[in-house]
Parts: sequence; structure tokens; C-alpha cells
Amino acid sequence: MPPQLRLNAVAFVSPQNHPILIKTFSQSRQDELKYHYIAHTSLDVIEERISAANATKSTECYLGLLYVEDVAVYGYMTPLKVKIIIALELTDSVIRDADVVAIFKSLHTAYRRSIANPFLRLNAPVDSNTDHAILVNAGHSQWKAFRKRVDDVGRAAGA
Amino acid sequence: MLIPLQQVAHDDHHQYLRRCTLQLDNWTTYTSGLRKYLPIMNSYPPDLLVQLSPVMFVAGLGPLQPLQTPTPPTPQSPAVRPQDPFLTLGNRLKDALLSQRAPAIWQPDKSKTFQVVLVDPDVRFPPRKVAPAEDQQFFPTHSPLSPLTPSSPLYPDGLIAPIWIRKHTGLVPSVFVLFKRLYEFPRATPTSPLEAPDSEHERDREAEEKRRDAELSAEIAQRKKSTNERAIKLTVVLMASRKLLDDPTLDARLTFIRRQSGLDPRAALFVLSPVSQAEIGDFVRSLQEALWEPAVEYYTNHSKRVRRKRNRHSQTNQSYPMPTSPSGPIARPLRPEGWTVRYEYKMACFAEFRGEDEVALKHYHDAYANLQIMFGSTAILPPRTKRWAEAKVLADCLSLKICKLYLYNNEHSLALSHHSMHIRKFADLSRGWGIGEETFEFWSWLARQHRAFAELLEQGTRTTLTIPTYLPSSTSAASTVVAQAADSQRSVVEMESLRTLGLNPTQALQHPGFYYFMAARCVENRRARFLAALENGGPNSTASPGFANENKVDHLTVILELYTRAYELFKKYSPQSGANLGRQTLWIAYRIARTYYDSGKFDMAVKFFERIAKTYRRESWDAMLQPLLKTWYACAQQLGDMELGVQLLIEMLAHGPTPDEEDPDAIQEDLLAVFRSTVPSKSDAPLVVDLSDAESLFDYSVIFWSPEVKVDERAAYQITLAVPSHVHISSLPFTSAAVYITEDAAPIIVRHADAKSSGDHVQEIRLGHSDYDALSEEHPVVEANLRWPPGSSIIFTGSLSSARPTTISIAKVVLTLEEASWTVDLPITPSASHGDRSQLPRWLTAVSPAKFVPIRRDSQLPMSSMVVKLRPHVIRVSISHIAPAYLGEDYPIVIEVTNLDSKELDVAADALLQPTEIEGATTSISHDKEIWSNLIKGIAFGKLAPGVSAVKTLYLNSGVAAGDRIIDLSIQSHNTAYSLIMESPQTPNSPALNTSDTSETLRTLIIPTADPIVADYSIKYKRSPSEQPGLARLETFDSDYWDESVGGVAIVNTVWTCTGPHGIKVEDVKLTRGDGMFARVTGSFLDNDPSDLLIEWLPGDQFSDEASVSFVPDDENPDVPIAGPGVYEISWRRILSNNELGPLAKSVFQLPQLEPPEDGLVALLDVPTTANLHVPIPIRMIIRNHRPTRSANVVVQVEFDATDGFVLSGLRAGRVPILLPGGEEILTWNAIPVECGYTKLPRIKVIDRRQRVIAQPGASTPETTSADGEGELVSVVDMRSDERPAVSMDGTRSSTDLGKRPNAIDGHGSTEITILVLP
Repeated sequence: MPPQLRLNAVAFVSPQNHPILIKTFSQSRQDELKYHYIAHTSLDVIEERISAANATKSTECYLGLLYVEDVAVYGYMTPLKVKIIIALELTDSVIRDADVVAIFKSLHTAYRRSIANPFLRLNAPVDSNTDHAILVNAGHSQWKAFRKRVDDVGRAAGA
Repeated sequence: MLIPLQQVAHDDHHQYLRRCTLQLDNWTTYTSGLRKYLPIMNSYPPDLLVQLSPVMFVAGLGPLQPLQTPTPPTPQSPAVRPQDPFLTLGNRLKDALLSQRAPAIWQPDKSKTFQVVLVDPDVRFPPRKVAPAEDQQFFPTHSPLSPLTPSSPLYPDGLIAPIWIRKHTGLVPSVFVLFKRLYEFPRATPTSPLEAPDSEHERDREAEEKRRDAELSAEIAQRKKSTNERAIKLTVVLMASRKLLDDPTLDARLTFIRRQSGLDPRAALFVLSPVSQAEIGDFVRSLQEALWEPAVEYYTNHSKRVRRKRNRHSQTNQSYPMPTSPSGPIARPLRPEGWTVRYEYKMACFAEFRGEDEVALKHYHDAYANLQIMFGSTAILPPRTKRWAEAKVLADCLSLKICKLYLYNNEHSLALSHHSMHIRKFADLSRGWGIGEETFEFWSWLARQHRAFAELLEQGTRTTLTIPTYLPSSTSAASTVVAQAADSQRSVVEMESLRTLGLNPTQALQHPGFYYFMAARCVENRRARFLAALENGGPNSTASPGFANENKVDHLTVILELYTRAYELFKKYSPQSGANLGRQTLWIAYRIARTYYDSGKFDMAVKFFERIAKTYRRESWDAMLQPLLKTWYACAQQLGDMELGVQLLIEMLAHGPTPDEEDPDAIQEDLLAVFRSTVPSKSDAPLVVDLSDAESLFDYSVIFWSPEVKVDERAAYQITLAVPSHVHISSLPFTSAAVYITEDAAPIIVRHADAKSSGDHVQEIRLGHSDYDALSEEHPVVEANLRWPPGSSIIFTGSLSSARPTTISIAKVVLTLEEASWTVDLPITPSASHGDRSQLPRWLTAVSPAKFVPIRRDSQLPMSSMVVKLRPHVIRVSISHIAPAYLGEDYPIVIEVTNLDSKELDVAADALLQPTEIEGATTSISHDKEIWSNLIKGIAFGKLAPGVSAVKTLYLNSGVAAGDRIIDLSIQSHNTAYSLIMESPQTPNSPALNTSDTSETLRTLIIPTADPIVADYSIKYKRSPSEQPGLARLETFDSDYWDESVGGVAIVNTVWTCTGPHGIKVEDVKLTRGDGMFARVTGSFLDNDPSDLLIEWLPGDQFSDEASVSFVPDDENPDVPIAGPGVYEISWRRILSNNELGPLAKSVFQLPQLEPPEDGLVALLDVPTTANLHVPIPIRMIIRNHRPTRSANVVVQVEFDATDGFVLSGLRAGRVPILLPGGEEILTWNAIPVECGYTKLPRIKVIDRRQRVIAQPGASTPETTSADGEGELVSVVDMRSDERPAVSMDGTRSSTDLGKRPNAIDGHGSTEITILVLP
């Protein structure tokens, strides 16, 4: 049995690279900013991975270990190009890809179920082009259900 | 370069050590080469890090003296030798040898090359063993570097010193190569080749050579003695001219020299003549090849010796008896663990010299493990002592070496895990030593670890090291696995396990930039700890030497350097995707900027911030932007750039207070304070703060009520400036808001007027109406309260109208802040990246309480702009025609256009005739004598003044088939005066709109067409009574000979019915003949007098004509109907409603096709219709065989009857000659009527005896079949009433004649032939 993973932070980034939600599971404010930076810099590696994946025509959502700082950063991209980034605490042990993918899958599900809420688009213009802008804004403000779902995933993943 | 080592007194090792330390400080060959690219690793002794390789001493290539020739110089021998071949050879050799291996830390190359050191030929080696001076007898001797030697720097408990490595890399070689010049006796110049060798000269030469060789041998022997002491291989290279190589005496001389000097028989003596550069390379290579084995042997011996010592040591497990030091306290001897470290380290080094990396790695690991045990106990290594510090350095260096050796094998994860293990272990230990994470010492150490590792990686990546990529385990990783499989067997297994399991992030090697970055972060921490210590540290801590040392460190420069390094590497490793910087590099740039800020280089910091902010703004990472702006503002403050400061403060306002900010109004107050306390650098122009890229202060939206209006119509708009609830700008002194409808027009100014705030969150400011075409005119100033409490919005409402078609949008709103001497303009434009696009646009309908109506609009029609269009022209189009149209007539369609507009309009029409689907229909339209089959363009109605109408008539001509015809009419009206208006534009750069005022009216006409007259035909066929022409008649061969006898006459009866709803006046009817090959019109009623038909035909009227057509069957194509040989042409005019006549039209009716029935064997009876009593009449019977193949055997019988009214003379019964196909026979009778009235002719029976041949096998002749029977009755046709309907191709009677009974008599005589006999 591998040691329990510790999830430090989760970030959802829109296809236009706008942050949707960045959720840290630690207390300090300083850390929260740190994970903003981590999520943002991860986008570089994600883009690199995506272009590599495109070259091999891979349709894998899971992008693997992006980089290691004082946390291990993993990336995932949904078929609709929403990027999910998680930061795991470093332990000197092998982190199984299957475990990380499981976390990503549950986060993806949380996201999907949240945007499926038809009331999110209650006041939105009927225009599919601005689709993700809605989501970004939804993430910004009163998107409580989504936060709660992400928290649940985080708890389950040992945040 | 040659390092002249001084003569060292053999016994005076003190002096030796001092000297060699001195010299080694200038040991340029090693250290300067390394220092060049070892900025951090040089904080470690380079000797502990450098890649070791066998050392070769080379002597005798120094500043070689030109050989003195004892004999008097001959004129030929040049006194000055600028190009002495041996000098050149020496220099070349020096270069070649020195370039074999440059000292480097990263040197995975395993070729057999030596580290070459050039020395003096009589160089001395350092003393090997030194006994304490006092009592040599009792104590074993030790090396001057041993901890057991009191004079050693390691005495009494040091582990190993860099000087030990230096001894083996610089002072003691594994092989010694001595270059010597072989003596060559100057040749006497023979005066003649025939002259006998000068025997005296030869003797001299031999003697001289002998003497010289002996001297040389002695010299070599001397050298050999000293190298033998240390088991160093000595190799002598004798340099001789090429001429000498051919000398037969050479072998003997060489043997002599070797024997005399005691050189080894193998690989110890080489002869070299001056050769080219390439050959020198070959020589150097072969020299190294030859000497590699002795070198390895040398180091192996050392290893063996050390292992023996270690084993002995571990068995006895006791320390050496320590000689009492003459002075000072009793030092503690080196512990057994220390000895183990020492021996393991030595063995590792010797293995490394031999190039056996695996062995070296194992020994380094052992040394490292033992060192850790020592660190584990403060008793063994008391912290913060000199030995402790040395051991720490040794441990760090060991760790680096181990990492390096792993990386040589591309075992990334092992290397990295060792690196992190080292850090973790020593971090733990540091805590115990009181230099834990809260001290700058710790961070300084940690930074050094990261940095050294980064440098190692950086060096590695320059040559052989590749940084792995960690793609997920699917397809793409496979290629990297394959690539790495070649590198090492172990890594394959490792990667296998990684693929199935995942990987350990701590063992994922990344490019060196990351480690530089981490080092920089560590130095930042170090600085923070140092500053903290400086702040609250008492005098005791600040006085400590470490602190004083730290005080001298310029942390910020170090941080900057590290970040810059990391930045460059990140840039190098980021994909070259384009010009924009990667986000990782931006993040480092941000750290660099922070460092610049910390070090007071604000201008540099500002430059960085500017660049970084761009990306952060674009991707709206506000959380990261906020601290950046804060620091940036601080920089601006420091630089005194208040304009930038104001700009940044406003942007910060837009982001709202940071979450940790307590007072939400702090930024606002800062801004006001800046306004009050400072003066702008340029007082004349307002400062424009354009936040279009950045987060906007306001949520700005422009809504037009309707997406499209007509010219001169008023269009209502609303401009909403809403402040988000987290933005606090309620006390900013906005003095005015200017609404710019276009960029260059005069704005609508709203001035701030202090009014009691209504408390509502929504305020409406009415701007009134403005004329889009007269925007340059001053607009009345509106006064309103321009203060925005958080979460409130101000909505500017107004209306716009334009006299011209255009697109109207609101260009911008400029808010002006005025306070003290500052004037700040805030232009607000609709920005692409910001603004609340997710919110549905809302239209304010009531102010208090505020009510909004959401506006939904197609996405193609933006909310924020409006299209002004011209009004469509008001014209009336009326179209009149009297349906249905008749085929063949020019059917008039009257189009009347009336201009009901107030402008004069130029009207034209296009008519498009839609193609019909009716088969065979032809249609054309005509106007003004032009006939077109599909389209008439530009039927001009001319310029119509208001109220005027114009009429045009279009004619439709449709032919062949009746049905609906469709015409599309497009009536275009064009305002001619409009373009004149547009030629005098009010604004020179008004947008180029469509400059014509046109509108179009469309009509579609469906016109039913009908036939005015329908013709109906009935045809009867008569057989020809005429005889067949004789075979010899010549006129039958004429081209125009008409042989009627085979054909007949068709009687064509035509009935015309007037079907249409309108009557027509027929003006002319005629039958136009078109005689053909097989048919010709022979007569018609119309030929006499057609005037009966030339009257008005009213619907339902029927008229008829009969024409007789003589025809001849087409023998070649009997099945093809014969074309009608003429047409009826009826010219008529439509009778209009007012009894007038329409235009003349012509209907054409083709005579029908003739399909005469086929005949077989036929008997035609030609009798007159009337006869006079007792007057004989001739009766003629023509029997024709029309059968194509069968001949006829015809028997004729007249059957008399008592009641017959005729007396017949002629053949009573007889056989007619056999009729061949196509033949005919004529029989005649005379009949005398004997009764009056309709009298029946006696029946004449015609029997064809020859029957159809029935294929019977037994029948011998056709006759046999008819012998027993009567044969076939042949029908007798009365030619007076010979009428047969047409038979269509399939043999049935044509439907038109079905009602009529044919008047043919069949052979059985069911009908009688009667003749009216008159008295």
C-alpha cells in the first residue's frame, strides 16, 4: 500500500488560460499566492505536453508530472481543454499514476457536474463563444457548489 | 606551462609542504581551468570534485637548448636556427600532449587519455615516507600528509585533504615520459660520392657517439632510479633526425642505451623524428595506448596497498599510537571511522584514476556512509570545529561526485535521490548542530548544494547528459524509454518499473534551471534569516565570525545571479513556440524584479514589472498581479515617477483591496494623498490613465435599444458604468465625465455637482438627444453627481439620430479626476478581455427602485452598436393583365409605377422569366421590340416626381404548351438627389458607407396560359382504285412519279374548337401544303372558300375542314408513321373586353401523321353506285396480294341466287393465276340490272387456296393442305365505301375511329353489296 498522497492545491484553468478556481488546502495566505504562481507556470509545461501529445495524436487527458519544486505538480486537460493542475506534497516514494489520475477524474467530474447546472447560464447571453468566460466568472463569484465539490475531492485525496 | 619545482630537501618535509602549497596555489593548469566555469563549485576545493585521470609527467620538451656541436661549426650548419625541426617538434608535442585532457569536473569520456603535466627532466617527487625526526627506529614511517605525521595539516585527526589529491594529480605521476635528443655526429661533407669514407672521421664519430650515449644512459639511469622508488613507469623517447633512423648503427646504439640505463624491455624506449602534426597525433595516441596499462597498474598497486592498510586497520580496530606532540594539548587521534573514510576515499580516487567508475562509486558510497556515521555523533566530530567543517566539505564533495558518477550512466533518479537524500540528512544533522532552518548558515549551505548540483547538470548537459521528460506512461514515453535503453541496462529496468507504477517526484530530474531557481530561493531565505538576525540579534551573535562573514556577502547580487542563470536556462529549455515569454520565465523574471527592488535598482525592477504585468493582465491572473502592482508602485514611489504611481494606484483600485488588506479605502486614500502632496511633472496636459489592457475600474457596457433604426429615427442608448462591490472609489474626486460618441467629435460633458446622494445604487443621468451628424456642435452640459459608492452604477441615457445611413456606437467615456494640481483622464473603452460578458445586457426601465429588462439579441447584432438605414422608398406598383394568356399571342402585361414618396425617384424595372417545367413550352418576353428569352434588364420608367406614375407594357409570348408562366419583377427606385447630399460630407473622414439611396420592390407574376383553339383530327384511309403500273412503264422510274396503287388516300377531318374564355376573331385560315416523300395533300375544302371560317369564334364554337391526302407507304420503314404533309394556319386576334381586337396572333396546326393499316390479300370490288335498269354496268374486281412473302392461289366463285336482281356475265367460277406477293389481278364482269331499287349484287366469293404453311413433317407440298378444304376466304371490299381507320403500330384501331363500323365485307359475305338501280 503506497503512502497516502497529500493534496496541497488544486487549480482549474480555462482554455483561454484564465484561472477558474484555485483552491489551496493549507491555511496561510502566502501559500495561496504561491499556488497561483505554480498553476500559472504549469501552463507552460502543459502547452509543451499538449504539443507533444498532438504530435503523437494522443488523446490522453492525463499529462503526467509537470515539474517539481517543493511540491510535485501534475497536470490534466479535459477534452474541452479545461486544464486541471494539482500540487502534491513531496514524499520520497513513488506516486502511482493511477492514483493521480483518480484524483483528476474526480476533479473533472466535480467540474462537469457543476457546469451542468443550467442556472449558471441564467443571465448569460445565448452565445456559445463566450461559454468559458461564463465559467470563469462563475468560478469567480458565487459558485459555491463547485467549491464544495472540489473540497470534497480534496478531503478524499488527503488534503 | 612548466612548473619548476624547487629542489626539495629530502628530509625537510616542512619546508617541502610549505613550498608545494605555495606553488600549488599557482597551480594554473588545474585550478584556473576549473575556476573558469565553476563559480560556485569553487567554494569547494576543486581537487575534490575534478574528474581524475591518469597523470603523465612529460619532461625534456621544455625550452630545449639547441644542441651544442663540439666540432667547429661548418659554414653549412646555420648558426642561428630559427626553424630547428626539433624545437618545432617539441612545441608540437607539448601542444598535443596538453590538449589530451583538459581538467574538468564533467568528463565522462572513457578514452585512454592522460592528464599530462610538463615537468623539468630532473623533477623531484615529494618524499614518500617521513619518520618523526626524533626516533626513527621506533615508529613506523608515514607520509607527510598522514594524520599521523605531526607536521601534516591533518594531524592529528584530519580525514583527507585536497592536497592529497593534488599530490596525485600534480606531483606524482603514474608514468614518466622523458624526451631526449639522441646525439648525432655532424656529418662530414663528402667531397665526392666516390670518395672512401673518411676513416678518421668515422672513428671520431663512433667515439663521440659512444661517449654521448653513455652520458645519456647515465642520465636516464639516474631518472630511472627515482621513478623506480615510486614504481612509476619511465619511458624514454629519443628524438633523432630522420637520417639517423636509417643508420645501421642505430639499433646497436639503442640497445646499448637501454641496457646501460636499465630501462624496461617493454614500452620504455621510443624513437621519434620530426614529423607532421597528424603523425604527432598518432604518436601521442600510441604512446598513451602503450602506457595505459602501466598507469592502471600503478594505481591498482596503490589501491591494493590502501586496501591492505584498511583491512589491517579494521582487523586491529585500534588507532595508531599517537606520537606525542612536542607542544600543545594532547590531540585526539583520528577515530577508526575516520580511517575507514580515508581509506575508502583513497581507493575511490585510485579507481577513478583507473577510469573504473563503478568501483569508484562504490568506494565513494562507503566513504560517504562512514562519514555520516561520524557526523551522527558529536563525540566523533564536535560541531563547529575545523575538522567538522572540513568533513562537511568532504561530504558535500562526495555527494556531488556520487551524483556525477550516477549521471555519467544517465541514472537520473539515482543521482537525484542521492542529492535529495544528502540534503535531507544534513538538514536533519544541521538541526542538531543548531544551524537549522532558522539560521542563515543552513540556507547558505542549502543554496550551495542546489547550485552545485545545478552547475553539475549544466556542465553535463553541455556534453552527454540528457534531461529526461516525464510524459505520462502512454505512447510517447515509450520512445524515450527506448532511447534510454541504449544507455544503460539498469535504466531500462528502472523505467519499466516507472511505467507500471508511476514515478517518485523527488527522483524526477529536471533541467538545471530548476536547481538554480531553488538555490536562489534558498539564498533569499538566507538573506531573510540574516536580516532577521541582524535585527533582533544581540551583540553576541553579531560578533560571531560567521556573522561577520555573512555581513560581507552581497546576498542580492548572488540572488540576482542565480535567478538570471535560472532565467536563461528556463528560456533555453522552454519550447521555442514564439516571441512571447514563457510563464515560467515570467515568474523568474518577477523574482528578479523583486530582487532588483530589494537591492534598490527600481528602474530595472520597473522594466521587468511592465513586461510581466502584460501577460498576467491578459490572462487575468489577478491574484498574482496584485502583489506585483504593489511592489511596482513602491518602485514608482522610490523613483519619484508620480505619473506611473497614479496609474498603478488606479489599476490597484480596479483590483480591489488584497484579501489581507484591512482598510478597503487604503488605496483610495493613498491616491488622494499622492494628489495632494505631489505635483505632476507636466502640469499643462492631463495625465491619461488608459486601463484598456488591465482590469477596468468600471464594468462598462453600452446598449442600444434596437439593433437597427431608420434614418432620422431616434435611437435610445444606455451607457452603464458600474463599480464592482470590491472596488472602493467613492471618494475619488471625479469632476466630469465626457461621453464621446465618435473619437473626434465634441463630447457630451457631464459635470459633477455635489448633490445629496439619493442612496440608490443606480443613478440615471439623462444626456438628452444628440444628432449624430452634428456632433461637433456643443452639447449642453449636464450636471450630476459623479460619485460611485461600492457596488453602485451610473447609467447615462440618451438618444441619437442620424440623417445618413451609418453604424453608430459609443467610442468612449472619459472620466476626469481633478485634485490639487493633478488632472487625470480615465478613458473607458469597451475592452475585449474584461468586462462582465457573462451578464446579460440589461436595460434600465425605472430608477427607484431600479428595474431592468434583460435584452437578448442575436449574437451577430452587437449590443453596443446600432445600424442606421435609409427608409425604403414608397412606391406603388400595379400590374394588370387579362388572364389567361393565349399561346402564340403577345400577351400584354401592364406595369404601372406610382411614386408615392416625397422625393423624386428614378425607377427602373427588371423582369426575369422563370424557366417553366412544362415540356416543350417556349416562352419569351418582349419590351420595346426587344425579345428576350429570360431576362429584361432596366426597363426605365424614368424619373418620377412625387405623385407621378408611369406605365410600361411587357409582352409575354408563350408557345407550344399551355400552363403557368412565372415572371419576377424587380422595381428599383433610386433617389437621385441623395448622392448629391452625400457629395458634401460634413466630416472629412466619415466612414464610406454605401452612398446610394436605393430601394427595391419585388413582385412575382404567375400567368396562366391556355390554347385559344384546340384541333381534333379523324383520319380515314381508302384503298386506291388505280391499277398497278406495268413493269415496263418508264415513267415509274421518274423521281416525281406518284404510284398511288400501292398506297391510298387518307381523308383527314379537322375540327377546331375555340376553348378559351375569350373569343377570337379569326382573320385567316389556310392549309399550307408541305408535300413529302410519302404523302401529299390532294384537296381541301379550304381550297374553295374559307370565308365561312373567318368570323368571330366564341368559346365553344367548332369549325372543321376535310383534306384528302394521297399517300404511299414507305417500303423501307413500314412502321414509321408518315408525316402530315401540311399545316393549317389560323391567324386571329383576341377579342378584348371592350370589343376591340388584340394584336394579330397565329396558331399553327400540323396535319396529323398518317398510319395506314396494313393489307394482306384483298379483293376490291369496283362497282358504280347507281345503274339504270337493263343497262349493263361493268363490275371490276382487283385482287391484290399485299402480303410480303406469300403468293396467293385465288379461286373466284360467283354465287348466284334466285333472288338476285342482276344478270352477270363473266367468270362464274375460276382460278386466278397465282398471285406473287405484290401482284394484282383484275377480273371484270358485266352486270345487267333486272330489278329497280336497291338491288343486291350476286355474291362473289374469293378463296385463297394457298393457306398458311403449317410446318408439318409429313406434308410434301403446300397444296396438300388446301386439297381437302376450301381454303381461306378473302375479304371483298366495296371500293365505294372503303374506309379504314388508322391502325396504330401495335395493330389496334386508333381510338378516333372506334365508333365507326368498317364497311368492309369479310369473305363470308355478311354484308351485301347493293346498287341503286334506277328505272
